[in-house]
Amino acid sequence: MPSVKDLRDRIKSLKNTQQITKAMKQVAAAKIRRAEIAQRQARPYAEALSAMLRDLMNAVGTVDHPFLKPGREGAPKGVILMTADKGLAGAFNSNVIRLGEAVAREDKNLVWYAVGNKARNAAKRMTQTTAFDVSLSAGPKIETARRIAARVSDDFRAGTISEIVLVSSKLVSMSIQRPESRRLVPIVAEKSVDAGNGPRGAVEFSPSPEAVLTRLLPKYLEFTIFSAMLETDASFFAAQLIAMNNATDNAGKLIDELTLQMNKARQTAITSEMLEIVGGAEAIVG
Amino acid sequence: MANTIPFKLITPTAIAYEGDAELVIAVGTEGEEGILPSHAPFLTALRPGILRANVVEGGASKRLEFATSEGFLQALPDRLTVLVDAALRREEIDADTAKADLAGAEERIKSLTPQTAEYAREQAIVDFANARLTLNG
Repeated sequence: MPSVKDLRDRIKSLKNTQQITKAMKQVAAAKIRRAEIAQRQARPYAEALSAMLRDLMNAVGTVDHPFLKPGREGAPKGVILMTADKGLAGAFNSNVIRLGEAVAREDKNLVWYAVGNKARNAAKRMTQTTAFDVSLSAGPKIETARRIAARVSDDFRAGTISEIVLVSSKLVSMSIQRPESRRLVPIVAEKSVDAGNGPRGAVEFSPSPEAVLTRLLPKYLEFTIFSAMLETDASFFAAQLIAMNNATDNAGKLIDELTLQMNKARQTAITSEMLEIVGGAEAIVG
Repeated sequence: MANTIPFKLITPTAIAYEGDAELVIAVGTEGEEGILPSHAPFLTALRPGILRANVVEGGASKRLEFATSEGFLQALPDRLTVLVDAALRREEIDADTAKADLAGAEERIKSLTPQTAEYAREQAIVDFANARLTLNG
């Protein structure tokens, strides 16, 4: 049976922990808001960019762009593994990494591009080589996204990798973050069904649809990576909020339990002390 | 009612400008493009440079200037959209940052061969820095 003092110490340390988790929960809540605003601000750009890409894809017949053709056969797959920089967010990072491992099991011939410190550490543990790593929150995200995009597209063009796959977390809702893997390059041309009825021929491109597309596709890759980074950020804080909320609740439950135990222990001590006194007094009287 | 077209200047982090334009002049890959309302559907890539727009705000005509990085311009009958990585007004430009960017890119570009992707990227940084300095200076 632990002594009253031991229990009191444990309760004290738990209360400290609870304070920390509570503070982290509040910080995460504030950061989610910021991450959401960043995501919202990126939306007009995303919509306009997709609209332009759609118009272009409908306007051009066949385009000779490396991003639209299969990569060099036999070359390893390039996988961008994207996690947060920090932990303390439940299984958030490990879920993404586990999906990355599953991708690696399927096709062992691959090269990692790690984004986020947790992804970098995970990639290091795996057998395949890491071609590139960067922290998620090192400088402005748009700059980082540009660097990642430049690196993977250079490697793809050079034939070092055969395709570009992104493994990252999707924010389904505040309480659900789902890791997903999707292929970024080669891009599958998604011609809309009514391509024939569109304003085909009526749209003018300068200098040519092919030339504009050549510039737009790398931009599209860059922006896709950028928005995945924003989504990873938002998902991370959402996961952290839940993790810290649970931690605070658990600490509260433990504190309640230990307080009960402590009270019992104290009562037992008092009772036995009283019995001793009563016993002693009776001995004197008797 | 003046002859205008809804105009949006969008970057990945914000809508830099939204309003009604009488005329927008941007630096396309093929030279400057001036877009007036009811332009034929048109889509072009933009080079880093200075984007000028005559906009109507509260009934008065006003000239706006932005230093913009690479991007795209799409004119449709009912709207005009410009997508760029960055769009800065004169007062938002930090000359020191621009000079540092310029020096860095000029240094790196020396060791690169023209016509490569790396060269084009560094050239874009140089052009964007020059556009900022021109607008700022």
